[in-house]
Amino acid sequence: MIDLADPGIYSNGIPQDVFADLRGRQGLHRNEGPDQFWSVTRHGDLIDVSRDTTTFSSEVGHIQIYDIDPDALDARASMIDLDPPIHTVLRRLVSSAFTPRHVQDYREAIRARVVDCLDRFEADGGGDWVHAVAAPVPIGVICDLMGVPEEDHEYMIELSDHLVAGTSSEPLSPDAYGNTTELRLLPFNSPAAHGISEYARKLGEERRARPTGDLMSKLIAAEVDGERLTDSQFTNFFRLMIFAGNETTRSAMAHLAVHVAEHPDQFDRVRTDPTLLETAAEEVIRYSSPILYFRRTVTADTELAGTPLAAGDKIVMWYAAANFDRSVFVDPLRFDVGRPKQPPNVAFGGGGAHFCLGASLARLELELLIEEIVARNLRFDLPSPPKFVDSNFVNGIEHLEVRLK
Amino acid sequence: MSESDATPNVGLKVDAEVCMGIGQCEMLEPEVFELDDLGIAQVHAGSVVSHARALELIDRCPSGAITIDEEAT
Repeated sequence: MIDLADPGIYSNGIPQDVFADLRGRQGLHRNEGPDQFWSVTRHGDLIDVSRDTTTFSSEVGHIQIYDIDPDALDARASMIDLDPPIHTVLRRLVSSAFTPRHVQDYREAIRARVVDCLDRFEADGGGDWVHAVAAPVPIGVICDLMGVPEEDHEYMIELSDHLVAGTSSEPLSPDAYGNTTELRLLPFNSPAAHGISEYARKLGEERRARPTGDLMSKLIAAEVDGERLTDSQFTNFFRLMIFAGNETTRSAMAHLAVHVAEHPDQFDRVRTDPTLLETAAEEVIRYSSPILYFRRTVTADTELAGTPLAAGDKIVMWYAAANFDRSVFVDPLRFDVGRPKQPPNVAFGGGGAHFCLGASLARLELELLIEEIVARNLRFDLPSPPKFVDSNFVNGIEHLEVRLK
Repeated sequence: MSESDATPNVGLKVDAEVCMGIGQCEMLEPEVFELDDLGIAQVHAGSVVSHARALELIDRCPSGAITIDEEAT
């Protein structure tokens, strides 16, 4: 019996055989480990759950497999763990900055970051790709949008790393970063979340006094039903943006380097046909599935894929399984930079209210990185396999040594 | 004759409660959609697309907010 909540299953990446087996079974799979939940592994089922926020709540229980107490849920809540209508109100405070049209405004600033990182990586003849490229590019981009000054970007990487268990090698003491809050009230039970909140407060105060055009200035001035955001709404918003804008795109960029090393022929195709840039980025995103799952909680008795579900049941959507569904993706284990964009992969979610806010930004970042890699005709050699993040939630790569050929 | 030639053009509408302002529609069909200041997609008055294109646009809205506007069709 396999417990999908066990992080050990993901220590070599996505467990393709396990997911293929579950996709082929009737109905939903009941996980009988210490955490009981239903697993959604097929593309169509995942889309059905994603689009029905009334039956499948993000607000009840928790969006991670383990339950937390209602007061802890309240203390942590950001739009990602809220349902409409409040989810919608909060999301609209920032959504216009992330549309496909609007993110084009950031194109040259992103390219400059990519060029800078690759220049140094080439000068060094290689190194840890995560540290040199995959981490600094996305954090730089999201920090620019939020308004975090350049000198604090490293600190944001550090705090964000601590949020995901295992991303950082050193466990934190409960009072790290001056934390005085009970850990169970903090996102990921991490004192680093306190550090991020403190930072958000300080930056928010500065922007309140002297607004600039960044998202922090917008959020600190934002009103919901005529009221300013509460302290926790504001700090949780900032924490979500930093984490989501950092960890996920970093994972995709780390996986990209693995593909460049393993499938040089595919990137030769992109070099000779730049119209493949878009589908190449999409294929990297599908194949990396940076977020393995999100959970929903059933609010009323229902049925899915022939399986009866009771109110209170946990539903876990395995994006990393649905993205390799043979009934949707031809030869799913083949890495194909020309794979059609439709039907879409679900790495950004299966649609509905919680579809990834930063999808267009992430796509652009990846496209620009791929464009620069093929323009320079870089050839990668991996002296050792990637070291994966110890997590059942993110498909992250902690360390990836790359040699330039 | 393809389906798009055989069927009449249709109008589209956006459910403002469901629209998450992702902006996919505006990118795919700027002649029809435009996001307003709140990030909600608005449909340009009188705009129509082929029935096949309508189905594609409906399908590609990640929010699931687009439907055929029977009154404008």
